[in-house]
Amino acid sequence: MSGGGAIAATSGGHSDAPLTAHALGRTYDGYVALGAFDLDVGAGELVALIGPNGAGKTTFLNLAAGLLDPTSGEVRIAGHVPGSLEARAELSYLPDSPVFYEDLSVAEHLEYVAALHGAEDPEARIDELISRLGLDGWEDALGSELSKGMKQKASIALALVRPFKVLLADEPLDGLDPPSRDTLFAMLAETKAAGAAIVVSTHRPDVIAAADRCVAIRDGRLAYDGKPDPKVLSEIFDRSELEGV
Amino acid sequence: MSGADQSAGTVLAAPDPVAAMKAMRSARRRRYVQRADVMEVLYRVYLGAIAALFVLAFLAGALHEVPADPSSVAGIRTDAPAIIGIAVAVIVLAGLRAGARGGPLAIEAAEVRYTLLAPVSRRTALRPAALSQLRTATLSGAIFGAVVGNFVFRRFPGSAVEWIGSLAAFGALVPAVVLGAALVASGRRLRIGVASAAGLVLIAWSALDLALGWNSSPTTMLGDLATLPLQHGASAWLAALGAALALAVLAAGLLGIGGLALEAAQRRAQLVAEMRFSASVQDLRTVILLRRQLASERPRRKPWIRIRGGSIWRRDWQSFLRWPVVRVVRVVLIAVAAGGIAVGGFDLTPVLFALVGPLLFIAALDLIEPLAQESDHPTRRLLLPRPGSELMRTHLTAPAVVMAVVLLGAAVAAAAIGENPGLALGVGGVVFLPLAVVLVCAAALSATNDPYEFVLNPQMANVVSLAPIVVALIAGFVPLFAAWKAEGSDSTRLGAALSTDFILIIFAMIGLGVLAWRFNKREREAM
Repeated sequence: MSGGGAIAATSGGHSDAPLTAHALGRTYDGYVALGAFDLDVGAGELVALIGPNGAGKTTFLNLAAGLLDPTSGEVRIAGHVPGSLEARAELSYLPDSPVFYEDLSVAEHLEYVAALHGAEDPEARIDELISRLGLDGWEDALGSELSKGMKQKASIALALVRPFKVLLADEPLDGLDPPSRDTLFAMLAETKAAGAAIVVSTHRPDVIAAADRCVAIRDGRLAYDGKPDPKVLSEIFDRSELEGV
Repeated sequence: MSGADQSAGTVLAAPDPVAAMKAMRSARRRRYVQRADVMEVLYRVYLGAIAALFVLAFLAGALHEVPADPSSVAGIRTDAPAIIGIAVAVIVLAGLRAGARGGPLAIEAAEVRYTLLAPVSRRTALRPAALSQLRTATLSGAIFGAVVGNFVFRRFPGSAVEWIGSLAAFGALVPAVVLGAALVASGRRLRIGVASAAGLVLIAWSALDLALGWNSSPTTMLGDLATLPLQHGASAWLAALGAALALAVLAAGLLGIGGLALEAAQRRAQLVAEMRFSASVQDLRTVILLRRQLASERPRRKPWIRIRGGSIWRRDWQSFLRWPVVRVVRVVLIAVAAGGIAVGGFDLTPVLFALVGPLLFIAALDLIEPLAQESDHPTRRLLLPRPGSELMRTHLTAPAVVMAVVLLGAAVAAAAIGENPGLALGVGGVVFLPLAVVLVCAAALSATNDPYEFVLNPQMANVVSLAPIVVALIAGFVPLFAAWKAEGSDSTRLGAALSTDFILIIFAMIGLGVLAWRFNKREREAM
């Protein structure tokens, strides 16, 4: 784990970590969205990725998911280049904005994603996710018929319906009601217990508190990497920049 | 579990991810067909076919084309392949640049998010979309080529079958090679500079062919194919080589399609979805704005020349002086192409005159941008202490001046390309002013059209959307056709072209009147 100054490296490097990023950078016409970013996330580890708007959180997640190409450095998913067949099989991405096929129902989306990733016993898994996330009765609904919260729930179900070793979630609690948040926390705990590496981009103190580790980004640079310590975080961020810190 | 249609079960029963993808796509296609109003589609096809047959029959009767003289035939045999090659190379350049920005495929955002992030070969996942685009483009190109061939054979040596066949093949191969080049650029993730350089090399190569009388460039070889009934010996073989090279480019593009950058695909998916919606409601203005975003075509931060002042006239020039290089080049190319097509109309078939107006209309849409922005922001416009119709009229002056320059450029290009520069400059000289006003008015009508004004009357909405393009087509066609049709000396032809100014002036007056009525009406409604 790299970093200096205020950065507290509390979790040692995982050479065989499911998610590794070294000197990862991305620039847009000279603007540094992410610069020389280092991060290893081990199996069964939940990392809260925090930082003010525009800090580079989503850029990092998109780079790890293979949706963006880095301009420097590298990131690996279970040792594979993002976007490769192997990496796509191991990584599940829950984006901040749900996207659906306009002519497929929620259930059909789940069936399709489960089949694309060769999920075992998909029907039982789909039924379980629909039930736990409160999507009962909405299985045949199209994406355009869902409210913001229901869209988010469907998106969460799509991320969890398939097998993976790494889960990247961008603001996953946005739009969820309190019971659904509790359900998601429980699901993240189960996923973690099953050995997945999880990175959750968030502004929420409850997610930060539930995380094993907190990684803070500011202006595209690593600002903190360590235990979710409110004291330390409050020294790095203004109250206005980070909710509840 | 969903019971809708037949996708459930078949997808989950698929033995592997690729089979699941195919099962889902197949289910979606079935669903689309089930939901489509087949009778409505058939009715539209029927109407389109009847209209096309009527136009073709009318043109075939009206043209009375006479065989070209031997010197024209010889000139076309030697020069046309390279000229056509330059035109094809320009389109290939556009394809390469589109590919470097992630085109030409337009994939759904969900397809990027789910299918392209799944452990499925991206080449396999993307190939159907590419083949679908290829089918549509090659079929349209082949039909257009065959229609042109149907008129060309009446004037030149060679049978109808030879001309229709060679021009249909040419018409099919041009979109194939453009699509292939775009796919190569996107699959190999070429930088925009490299893609542009490759296209410019092709243009320069065909220009060199034209200057030296060679047939060495791959796009010149496609020009040999377009004029195959006139070619013999080595040129005929070069036409075959050109076709083979075009297919090779297409094959290379299809093989490398999996290299598409998802970043570009995502961005494109969003914009293309919006463009399709805008096109479905005939909102041409939004389509243009989205296309500019798709092409990353932004105004220059620093103008070419800085002018100060607050008049509308200056504001319009400030807009033109911030045009990016690509827009300047596009308008110049449109002028050259319009001139070249006009020459082609005189030398090959006057059917080509029908392309001149719509092509110049595209340039006019760029020129009308300042007025279009006033229309985009009605509140700002209403706050100005001037009547809307007066504001509109003042905004038309600068675009009309630039459009006139573009038309003179087209005339100069026609003079340089054709064998009768005097006639080209003469026709340009007698029609450029009224034609510029008509084209600018047509573009203004299109850019300020409210697509929802006739939302309850779709037929009326279609008429209002299509009218400016049809007017541009007629305005471009009539003077050229009159000059072509007139028998006798160049002065007779110029007189015939001059006589059509009357029609253009009527068009311009109607356009100005409708625009004034539209702006006044909106102003009244806002009060």
